[in-house]
This record gives sequence, structure tokens and C-alpha cells, in this order.
Amino acid sequence: MTNLPPTPFTVTTDREPPTLTVRVAGELDYDTCGELVDAVVRELYDAAELRDVRLDFHELAWIDSSGLSALLMVHRHTSAADTILHLDHRPGFLDRMLRLTNVLEHLTATADHDEADERNGDVTEAGAT
Amino acid sequence: MPPLVTASRSSSTRARSADDTVGSSWADAPCPVLVVDRYGTLVQLNDAARLLLPEAVSGNRLHETAPSWLSDAHRKIAGGPGEAPATPLSGSINERIVLAHPTAAAGGDVVWWLVDDTDRHVAEEAVRSAQTRSQILTEASSTLLSTLNVPRCMEVAASMAAQHLAEAAVLVAPAQGRRHPLTYAPRGGPVVQVSRQIDTHSVPGLPEALQGFPPVPARWIDPSVLPDWAIPEGFTGPVGSVIVTPLPGHGVPAGALILLRSSTEQAFTEGEEVFARLFAARAGAALSAARLYTEQATITATLMNELLPPPLQRVHGVQYAGSYRAAKDHERVGGDFYDVHPGSDPSRETLVVLGDVAGKGLDAAVLTGKIRNTLHALLPLADDHQRVLDLLNGALLNSRHTRFATLVLASVRRRAGRAQLRLTSAGHLPPLIVRADGRVEEVPSRGTLIGALPIVTAHTVETALDQGDTCLLYTDGITEARGGPLGDELFGEQRLRRVLAECGGLPAEAVVERVQMVAAQWLGTGRHDDMAVVAISAPRTGGLSVVDGRRGTGRKDG
Repeated sequence: MTNLPPTPFTVTTDREPPTLTVRVAGELDYDTCGELVDAVVRELYDAAELRDVRLDFHELAWIDSSGLSALLMVHRHTSAADTILHLDHRPGFLDRMLRLTNVLEHLTATADHDEADERNGDVTEAGAT
Repeated sequence: MPPLVTASRSSSTRARSADDTVGSSWADAPCPVLVVDRYGTLVQLNDAARLLLPEAVSGNRLHETAPSWLSDAHRKIAGGPGEAPATPLSGSINERIVLAHPTAAAGGDVVWWLVDDTDRHVAEEAVRSAQTRSQILTEASSTLLSTLNVPRCMEVAASMAAQHLAEAAVLVAPAQGRRHPLTYAPRGGPVVQVSRQIDTHSVPGLPEALQGFPPVPARWIDPSVLPDWAIPEGFTGPVGSVIVTPLPGHGVPAGALILLRSSTEQAFTEGEEVFARLFAARAGAALSAARLYTEQATITATLMNELLPPPLQRVHGVQYAGSYRAAKDHERVGGDFYDVHPGSDPSRETLVVLGDVAGKGLDAAVLTGKIRNTLHALLPLADDHQRVLDLLNGALLNSRHTRFATLVLASVRRRAGRAQLRLTSAGHLPPLIVRADGRVEEVPSRGTLIGALPIVTAHTVETALDQGDTCLLYTDGITEARGGPLGDELFGEQRLRRVLAECGGLPAEAVVERVQMVAAQWLGTGRHDDMAVVAISAPRTGGLSVVDGRRGTGRKDG
């Protein structure tokens, strides 16, 4: 189906209290989304000194509805752990999906000021309309 | 000349001479030993030989005392060059199997050392028959397990039983309703399957065998009590012996096997009975596997029918058409769904729903079922889309997972030749409208996905379809179909718009077909998500279609 080898899906966590950075590369979909939730949950409940969880989507190749479902689940966990979720370096397709489904605000509700800055810098083809 | 040649020919001296030559040790040998002269007269025999041939005494003619295979062999050796054959002779003497080793003695006598070989022979025979049986069992297993079709499985089991275990076999399956499926297999004859009301108590042991639990052993029954139904047609001669053996399934009774032999053939031996049990275990396992599979398949089919998208048609003067293609071609249900709930009369709105559940396969299908049912129940509130979405969201919210749905609600009513539309997207791709002249517009409704967030907001857009206009609701399986000339390109919204632009004025069904066809061509053989499309069209009225018959697509308005 594809001529290019697909980017393998990887989740890399980098813990520098009070920030946890999770780099997501490849396709976040039905088959891989569980890994992301597991990785975040593992780090979240490992120690309590975290304040921010940053998901870095710089190398995200694709996301489907299951992937979005996973992001909502991650948000539930970060809220429960009293941490702030940031969605960094969102590719256009991700931004578009978050806006279409009207969950962008919800996912980043407590981090509005940070997001606004990043959005201006990183997102080029954002917006569904 | 050597003294042996000159020895006297009287039998007493010969006996002595044999003693002298062979030595007396043979008399104590544990195996039977016969000393026979060249004329076939038994000269001497030891105690072991007397046990083997109780009637033999010295001086007997060998051919009168011993079986012919031995006396014949003796004649050959004594008359010939006197060489021992390369392989030991073997034969039976008084139901024992013995190996006969000849050695030459003085004066042309032959000493026959007989070694009892019965045990080895029996063991070999047992091994051979065990090998044959295990071969049969292996064959039975592979043949039986290769089919998951219950009647075929019963046919194979009965026919193999008739071939290897008995002259005829009758397989009695557990009752379906009041009737028992019966499979008759006479050896070499055609297998007959019937469903018949029978009295299982007429065959002793059959009710217990059919219960499956507790396990009961195979049992012999008196052939004379066997009812007529238990004897296959074409079974010749009176029944000599009968065994009823249960077919143990995986905790469920798989049936029972009645094995019959005519009186002319030998009765079942103990070994055969054990073998019958082993065979029955395999047949039972295969049968219950087939039966469980059939049950599963039936349940799945029943569930599927509930979850399948409905056939659409014209309702209150508006055309509806839908098409659905599941992600995997062998699956028939998935995460996309649509429904059309006709208004109770033409003045009431018809509610159209098209949506997409996150995830795939049966899990997703079950959630779509829940959403469809909930929406059906909420129909009376369909005047207010926001309210419907609030209630649906509340019903789907779940603390365990964030599986959500995105959907579009469309309320449609025909008024004055136009179809009035109220459209609300809950996190779903915006509906597209293709006007009769080919212009394509996006319906700017926006809203929150359903089932994951505590609060959802949505914005309803009102619009209208003139005659020949079509509104298309679709899922992302269409726009995210990957394929095209490069193989990995998204079909995309722009391409969908271009396809739609060519569909102005077409009836709903044709638009749906066109969109699905182009998307399928784009995909080629590529992997894809569920794809659902619903088209809502305001058809040209009958009168207009005659006047404005360019496309010939108008239909008589209902």
C-alpha cells in the first residue's frame, strides 16, 4: 500500500521534574494507542513531583480516532494527577482533528497561555474551516 | 572309515550314539529339542519338548507327531545337502509359535531346537494393531476436524466407525426439539441422515450416553432388545453384538454411537472396545467443536443482523440512500453506522443519523448498537439536537474508557417542494451539499464529540435542498482512504468535493454509488477504515422530470 517504509511507532519519555516530556513518533492509531497511555500512566504514578506533562508530536505521522481516544484518556490521567497537559508541536492533521471534534480546549484547558504561544509558532495548516 | 558310519542301525544304539554325539546337555535345555533321524523318525526328545508335544514318544514318525511345516522342513534338510536354512523356520505347534533351528548330528540325524516365539509374536501383533489403530485415529481426527459443519462431521464419524469398528454404525445426536438427528452408516453403503422422534430408552444405556455427563463407559447390550430404528437399512443378517458408546464433547453431550456387528462376524474384543472408546472421544471432540462453532456463528449472525445498517428508501418525498463498507472485507459490521428514522407523517421531521465510533471490529460495533438504540429512544426529542446530544453523551460517558463517537444529526422535512434540513455535527466531518448545478457547499455545523467529555456543545445549521440537490453525510473512512497513484495518498476532502461536483442533479442512490466507487478505486487493494455514506436528495417531481428530462433521473414524487 505504501512505497515508503512507515515510521515505526515509538513513545519516548523524558523525566525532568517538574516536567515529563513524552515524544510520540509514528502513527498513533488503533494498534499503538495503548502504548502511549501505558507510558504516561507509568511515569505519572511513579512519583508525585510532576507539574507538567508535555506530549511532543513533532514526529507524529498520523493519528486516527483511537489515537484521539487515547489522548482523552491521557488527559483524564493527567487531570487526576493534578498535572497540566500540553500538546506540543502539533502537526496540521492533529490540530484539525482536535478542532473538528471540539476537544482542543478541553485537552489543554489549564494551559491556555502556553498553547497559544506554541500554536502560533508550530502550526501551519491548522483549522478545519 | 569313521566309527560313526559303521554304527549299528538299531534304534537303541542310535539313541546312545546321539547321546554320544550331541552330548547329554540338550536333554536339560530349557527349549524343546527333538532329535530326528534322516528317515523322519523321532529318536529322542527332551522334557521341554514333551510339554510342547505331549503325545510324542521316541519312535514316532515326525509327520504324525509334529505339524507338517516341521516334518516337511525335516525331509528337505535330511534328504538334501543338510544345510540349515538362512532364516529360522517358524510355525505353530499346539497354539504356540515356535522358531525351529536345525543342527546336523551324527549319522544324518537332525537336532531340532525349537524356540518358543509366541510372546514376541503376540507383542509384534499388538504393536502392529496399535499402529493401525493409531493410524486410524489420526486419520479420524484429521478428517473429522477438517470440517466445522455438524451434519458433515456426523456423516464422517459414522462412516469411519462403520469402516473400522463395526459392520454398521448409528450416530444418535442430542435432540433438537423433540427429534434426534440420526446418521446411519452401513459398511460400504451410503450414509443416511434423518431426523426422527425416537424413544432413547428403547436402547439400554443410550439415555445415559446422550446426557454426556457423568461420563458412562461403552456398554454391551443384548442385540435382541435393539429397536428397529437402531438398525440401518441394508444391514444383513441378525445383529450379533452391539455396543453403545457415548461421544464425549467438551462438557456438552455430542451424541452417542451405536456399533453393530452381525452374528456371522466375531464379537467385539476388549481391545476393540477400548479402541471404540478412543475413536468416540475423537469423534465427540470434533462434533462438539463443530457444534460450538455453529452456535457461535449463529449468534454472531444474529448480532450482526441487528447491527447492520438498514436498507434505505424514499420517505415522505425525500430520497435517502446509504452504503457501508466495513474495514475488513470479511467483516460486515464495524465502527461506522447510519439510520433513518422516518417521521410519523409527512409533516413531521425524519431523523437521519450517521456516525463513527473510535475503534474497530465487534467492540466498536457493539457501541454503535448502543448509540443507535439510545438515539431511537430519544427520537421524540429530536426537535432539539443539542438536547439529544446531551442525553446521548450522558448515556455513553464511562469512567473506564474514552471511546467516543462523532456523528451528524439531520432532521429532514419536505415542504413546498424543498427538503428543509437541520444539521448538527457532533465532532464529525461537515456534511457537504451538492446543488443541482454542481456547486458544492460545506455545512458549517460544529460540535463536540460524544461520549468522552462531561459537557458537549453543538451548533445546528438550517438549510434547504431544492429539487436535484443532495446532502452527503460521510465518515472519515472516505476522506482518509489511502491509495491513489502513489499508493499512500489520502483521498481527502478536495477530491470528494470534485467527485460530488459531478453528481449535481443525480438521485441519492447514484451519488452514494459514485462516491463509494471512486473511493474504492482510489484504495485499490489498500487497507482502509470503515466507510459509510448517506445521501439525502430532494428528488425532481414527476412533472418536472418529464419537462426537464435531461438526466432522466427524476422519479415520481411520493
